Amino acid sequence: MAEKKSFFEWMQNLDRRWIYLIVALAIIIPLLIPYNSDNVTTPPTENVYQMIDSFAGREDRAVLLSFYHDSSVMPELYPMEIAIMRHCFERNIKVFCLSFLPTGAPIIDMAINTVKEDYPNIKSGVDYCNFGYIPAALILPTVIGMGDNIATAVPTDAEGRKTENLPIMKGITNYNEMNLVVEFSGSTAGAYWLVYARPKFGTNIAVGVTAVMAADEYPYLQTGQFIGLLCGLKGAAEYEKLVDVFAAYRAPGEPLEPYFDEEGNKIVPGRSFSKDILNQPEIKDLIKITPQTEAKFTPEEFELFLQTCPEKDQQLLHQVKQSVDGKFVIDIAKLDKNQFSSLTWEGLNRMTHNTPYKFKVARVGMNAQSVAHIMIIVFIILGNIGYFLQKAQTGKK
Amino acid sequence: MTFDLFSNLVAAFFTLCIFSFLYKDNPFYQMSEQLLVGVSLGYSLVLTYERVFIPYFYQPIFLKHEWILIIPSIIGIFYLFRFSPKLSWLSRYPIAFSMMSVGASVALSMHTSILVQMRQAMVPIENINLALIFIGTITVLLYFFFSKAHTGIYGQFVNVGKWFMMIGFGASFGLTVMARISLLIGRIQFLVNDVFLALKQALFG
Amino acid sequence: MKKTIPLLIVIIGGVIWLAWVFVPHRLIQDVFYGEFYLPWARAMAPFAMLLGVISLSMMHYGKIKRKAPKWQYSFFFFAGFIVTSLAGFIGGTQKGGLYMWIFENMQMPMSATMFSLLAFYMASAAYKAFRARSPEATVLLIAAIVVMLAQVPFGVKISKYIPDISQWILDVPNLASKRGILLGVGLGSVATALKIMLGIERSYLGGD
Repeated sequence: MAEKKSFFEWMQNLDRRWIYLIVALAIIIPLLIPYNSDNVTTPPTENVYQMIDSFAGREDRAVLLSFYHDSSVMPELYPMEIAIMRHCFERNIKVFCLSFLPTGAPIIDMAINTVKEDYPNIKSGVDYCNFGYIPAALILPTVIGMGDNIATAVPTDAEGRKTENLPIMKGITNYNEMNLVVEFSGSTAGAYWLVYARPKFGTNIAVGVTAVMAADEYPYLQTGQFIGLLCGLKGAAEYEKLVDVFAAYRAPGEPLEPYFDEEGNKIVPGRSFSKDILNQPEIKDLIKITPQTEAKFTPEEFELFLQTCPEKDQQLLHQVKQSVDGKFVIDIAKLDKNQFSSLTWEGLNRMTHNTPYKFKVARVGMNAQSVAHIMIIVFIILGNIGYFLQKAQTGKK
Repeated sequence: MTFDLFSNLVAAFFTLCIFSFLYKDNPFYQMSEQLLVGVSLGYSLVLTYERVFIPYFYQPIFLKHEWILIIPSIIGIFYLFRFSPKLSWLSRYPIAFSMMSVGASVALSMHTSILVQMRQAMVPIENINLALIFIGTITVLLYFFFSKAHTGIYGQFVNVGKWFMMIGFGASFGLTVMARISLLIGRIQFLVNDVFLALKQALFG
Repeated sequence: MKKTIPLLIVIIGGVIWLAWVFVPHRLIQDVFYGEFYLPWARAMAPFAMLLGVISLSMMHYGKIKRKAPKWQYSFFFFAGFIVTSLAGFIGGTQKGGLYMWIFENMQMPMSATMFSLLAFYMASAAYKAFRARSPEATVLLIAAIVVMLAQVPFGVKISKYIPDISQWILDVPNLASKRGILLGVGLGSVATALKIMLGIERSYLGGD
């Protein structure tokens, strides 16, 4: 007992630099050794996802992303911005971006360029429009002016082109069409939209906030003033998961790009949100964060996939496929990309369900977060045990 | 070495300079701290010149000849008289102009922060959660009402608000821990992926 | 005179702004707001920025002149400020220029790292300062631990009910307490705004 007490006394007086070292190791090690884990999605995130997804393929709907933060909170907010942009590009949803802070404008450029690398068909002015930095003196005129006419409130985009002439503005006039504003902020999230845009024009508002602020936003969530909320890195991880499971999902044989059916209806690839699908154990294969190189098909799925490929590639695929447990498996790490057409190669990559690193940053971070949280809880418990033991000892004396 | 790797190494150098403060205060940290302030100010100045000064001061006055705007420009210059002991009273004019919009916030904040929140707090109490929210909101509000002493049964009723606040602050604290750790994870991800692994790739292939 | 006219500007302007919220007449919406307030606010805006530049420059110049402690580091402030400003004015603000390179490879990493130091301080505080000294503090810590566990995938492995309990904590008691605080703060800010508008509150004008 005397030994235990002196151990706790030693622990109480531990130099804080040892604590810093433990914290650093607790984060570095999980980042160096990625492992698969599942982030349970919560209703506030699901609501944002469903609202944005309801605009899929529509000419007369758009989302406005407001980047109201600087680089200091990027680790929490940047992954959710990337995830939402990826969602919009996957499901053919028009996106507008702006920032009321000078430090937010480069972040918009970085986000767009990062996501666009994987979507060569996405064009500026057609699928997305970046309004760039709008000075703080113009927040009110912009927020209110967009309720009447977006092209008048923001006459030019960041590249200097006239907004009204851009193809993206076809079908979009004001908040009636650009019906959702998502503001990312580390401070007062959604304040201007909440006070000026929502009461006057009925705009839907969602926020992506740092976890520090999230608890304070719940009153607005419950009143419906915010339709949804993305809470820090966890919110970003949840959204990345939803994008992988629904928006970025391609059934074998499904075209990779939007197309028109015989009746002229636009069909957007991917699938709609469904709580039942989220509860299926099969989705674990869609959300793995370790590198995946094997495309797995049932025989029926393989036939459907082959129909989307040129004949030359079909013969090649028959040669390279392997049969494992009644399924056909193709390991793309063992293949030469140049042997296949770009369409087949992209299709095969999709079927591996391998997510590029930039689209799973939050989920990788959440692994380190797990270890760090356990460490903090252990610190709190150890600190309190030591405190109570010391108190008991002092009481005895 | 590619230019990207060189840029990342510069960023890593300054990152480690700031992290060095954790061991102890040192010249590298002091240098980076002052550099950060200087660079941030220089960045904001240039952007303000390009996106505010030129389109809203220079172009309207000197190119479009809207001479009336000379008056607000002079009033704006009064901001700078704040540093003069004799003429600092002039700086009240631009401040007063920007404070005018407080009139709108009386009505709009009342709507957003009070009326909408009150309306949602006064819904029919259909289940236990709504009852708890109702009791919690009232007790927390009354906890900060100091015109009546918190004694007796009233005091015990109001004390319930304290418990609600403790749970609320506990939730905030839990989320704050996640937020702070996330920021650190972001920096370590940069150091591990963009610097350490990229350097390893460049040196050893 | 020195305070009266600014006060009158705030009072009269505040009343017109209040009318702006409710009155759709073009005299207020287009003439006052669109043709008077907007262009005037835009023309005044750039000069507010200069306040910060002059204030910081004067402070650091004073430090160098007085040889205050750590005065040598003030040179780095001026170096950063002058080089960035010149890079922006001469080289331009487009991506690929020196100005954006300095921002992306110096300002962004340093500012992000400053904030990330808080994680270390939080861990140190968790160990040394977070004590369950009273029943209220115990409740606070338990709520914090449940919410922390629910945020991470590991929490679900401990118990599948933890995410639901955490969501309940956020949706019910947290909501009630934040709503109570928000109502209190809202009432206070409306009262302050009204006092400013009526000229009762004058502290924003500074001393004599």
